[in-house]
Amino acid sequence: MHNENKVPLIRLAKRDMMEPWKVWCIRLASIVLALLLGGLVMAIALPDGATPIDGYATIITGALGKKTAIRQTVKLAVPLLGCALAIAPCFKMRFWNIGAEGQITAGAIAASYFALYWVGKVPSAVLLLIMGLAGAVAGGIWALIPAFFKAKWNTNETLFTLMMNYIIIGVVRWLQGGPWEGRPGSQIIPQFDRAATLPKVLGVHCGWIIVLILVVFMHVYMNHTKHGYEIAVIGDSINTARYAGMNVGHVMMRTMFLSGAISGLVGFIVASGANTTLYDGVAAGVGFTSITVAWLSQLNAFAMIVISMMLAIISKGAETLQTRLAVPASISDIITGILLFCMLGCEFFINYRLIFRSSKTEKEAAKE
Amino acid sequence: MKKLLAILLSVIMVLSLVACGNKTQGETPSNDDQQQNTETETKTIKVGLICIGDENDQGYTYNFIRGKESATEALAAKGINVDWVVKYNIGEDSTCEDANIELAEEGCELIFNNSYGFEPFMLKVAPDYPEIQFVGCTNQGSWNDGLDNTHNAFANIYEGRYLAGVAAGMKLQQLIDEGTIKPEEAVIGYVGAFSFAEVISGMTSYFLGARSVCPSVTMKVQFVGSWSDATEESNAASALCDLGCKLISQHSDNTTPATMAQSKGAFHTGYNNDMTGVAPDASIIGCRIDWTNYFVYAIESVANGQEFDQDYCYGYDHGDVVLTELNEKIAAPGTAEKLAEVEAGLADGSIKVFDTSTFTVEGETLTSAFALDTDGDFTPDSEEAVFDGAFHESYFQSAPYFAIKIDGIEWLNSAF
Repeated sequence: MHNENKVPLIRLAKRDMMEPWKVWCIRLASIVLALLLGGLVMAIALPDGATPIDGYATIITGALGKKTAIRQTVKLAVPLLGCALAIAPCFKMRFWNIGAEGQITAGAIAASYFALYWVGKVPSAVLLLIMGLAGAVAGGIWALIPAFFKAKWNTNETLFTLMMNYIIIGVVRWLQGGPWEGRPGSQIIPQFDRAATLPKVLGVHCGWIIVLILVVFMHVYMNHTKHGYEIAVIGDSINTARYAGMNVGHVMMRTMFLSGAISGLVGFIVASGANTTLYDGVAAGVGFTSITVAWLSQLNAFAMIVISMMLAIISKGAETLQTRLAVPASISDIITGILLFCMLGCEFFINYRLIFRSSKTEKEAAKE
Repeated sequence: MKKLLAILLSVIMVLSLVACGNKTQGETPSNDDQQQNTETETKTIKVGLICIGDENDQGYTYNFIRGKESATEALAAKGINVDWVVKYNIGEDSTCEDANIELAEEGCELIFNNSYGFEPFMLKVAPDYPEIQFVGCTNQGSWNDGLDNTHNAFANIYEGRYLAGVAAGMKLQQLIDEGTIKPEEAVIGYVGAFSFAEVISGMTSYFLGARSVCPSVTMKVQFVGSWSDATEESNAASALCDLGCKLISQHSDNTTPATMAQSKGAFHTGYNNDMTGVAPDASIIGCRIDWTNYFVYAIESVANGQEFDQDYCYGYDHGDVVLTELNEKIAAPGTAEKLAEVEAGLADGSIKVFDTSTFTVEGETLTSAFALDTDGDFTPDSEEAVFDGAFHESYFQSAPYFAIKIDGIEWLNSAF
């Protein structure tokens, strides 16, 4: 009898490799489950006369129904995609960079400096180039600091990168109320001159072209270069990397600089393309949401396009949901949360197997 | 694996039942709605309102929502049915641009933006929708930007502040006359959001109102660096009380300065909302902008296809600025009569709020101050505002531009 107690009701076991079709079945099921749970939330929250199906239809048409809607959706997806690309190499290396938020902000500050003080001194195209470059360097340096400490003294990069976010956001607040303030007391930095604004291509600021180029770059970098190989080896085992003669600290710093530089570039795109000004919320949580994008895409650069678009669709669609059906905005956050939870949660079932305490094992236990 | 699938499937079935069940229930009322719409033949107009907060602030946005509701009633009486689309908790960033696009695409013919920081983003959208009217409330860049479909609106809130100041001054003078405090102890504490023209204009008019009935009054101002930060506002009020302020007033969105004043045994006058409910032993009176008139005016104009003022600003006599109910229980005797007298004086022009004979700047009488900034460096450089013995506030544009430090008001900080 006492043996039986030792077998828990549910046990977990690591799965062997699953067949790809099964994996995709689980993923699909998780999305369906998320949609149904979200539907349940909507059934409660939607006003009388609207069904969850109307709700989802509103989300889809709101995000993709019109040309202007598609433009807005793409505008939302651009920073998500860019930033997911930025953190992918860090995560591949098992370096937990959750400071993308701060790196975006650092890039935006540097770009804004040139937008505010160099306008008129150089032609628009050159100015934008300088802004982009400055953003990348600033973001890179902001990321390099925690990487340096990690490489030299093995500090905890998760806490370090997180804390760096608050510092740089404080810097923006100071700039907003201090040296860069527009109308006295307003706490608002003036809008950039047109020359410092990213031009539009097909109705959306051309940041979308930049991030698509980055997708290709990141794919090649991660899969077909020596750097990418080093990152993968360090991610699997630091000791193996050391044994193979790699300078782990050096690779960490290099990768973090690259990651921060891309985040900084995203900061430039957001400040110059979307906001055309700088304010403390310039990163708007993108640095954190993009972690989800990167994980959902399994660090695959092309999958990130799909995932970031999907999140953008939900986000834009939720706005329309609020506008048309007068649903509180928080409801759409709940639905997004459920969706992400289910999708990330299903990876657990792909990697692990649940073993229930069956009658068979009980009998076996009894025999013993 | 099979079990897992079975569980999943059963969950799916249950949930789809819920989803479908709701659908059949929901269809009937929506049909009714449509029938009602076709039966009544009133003019319907879709109007957007973008808010920085929501009604729960019991202050700034709540005041807009109140204006929206009374305007809807007033317009219904005129046969205009307003279909409001309200976006709450929008940030002063590109989400505001998105909200404007969203409302424009949803068919709103008129879109109000309720916060100062919304305007630059609203102005990015306005050129793409020339047939839709955009309003930047409390701001100043829309009326003179060369576009026909962008508007500004404000009210002479400084008149309301002046009146609230009179009520505050009456109370302090009463305390002096009764011997509770010495004349030099009549100090007002003012919780300000930012050292921004709108706030400076408001606190100065408030102070001048108080001093018109209590000559020995002085004022200390503490800026909190946020339009709405309940904790900071409370802390500032607390610090001011500790510095010996006997009465607290505020230019910030929350009711915490009122409750703090009450707990510290000080008096209070409010803004945006009647705060006598939360601080019945402290809050004497409040003043607020009543947006009803403007909403009615703008919506009716658009509904009738008429143009409307690009820079709207009226005051107390027009009903756009109102005082909240006087808390007779604690107000000084004779306050109501005095307020009526001052109101009449403001209406006929015999009392000017910024009468240059009533205040000095570094010991000198103010003889010259510019109202507008035309070259974009944020320093006023045109339109002389001082004439006929007074500074003319909200005369050249609706948004306040009085940003001068006068004697008698001590700024405890000015970092914001």
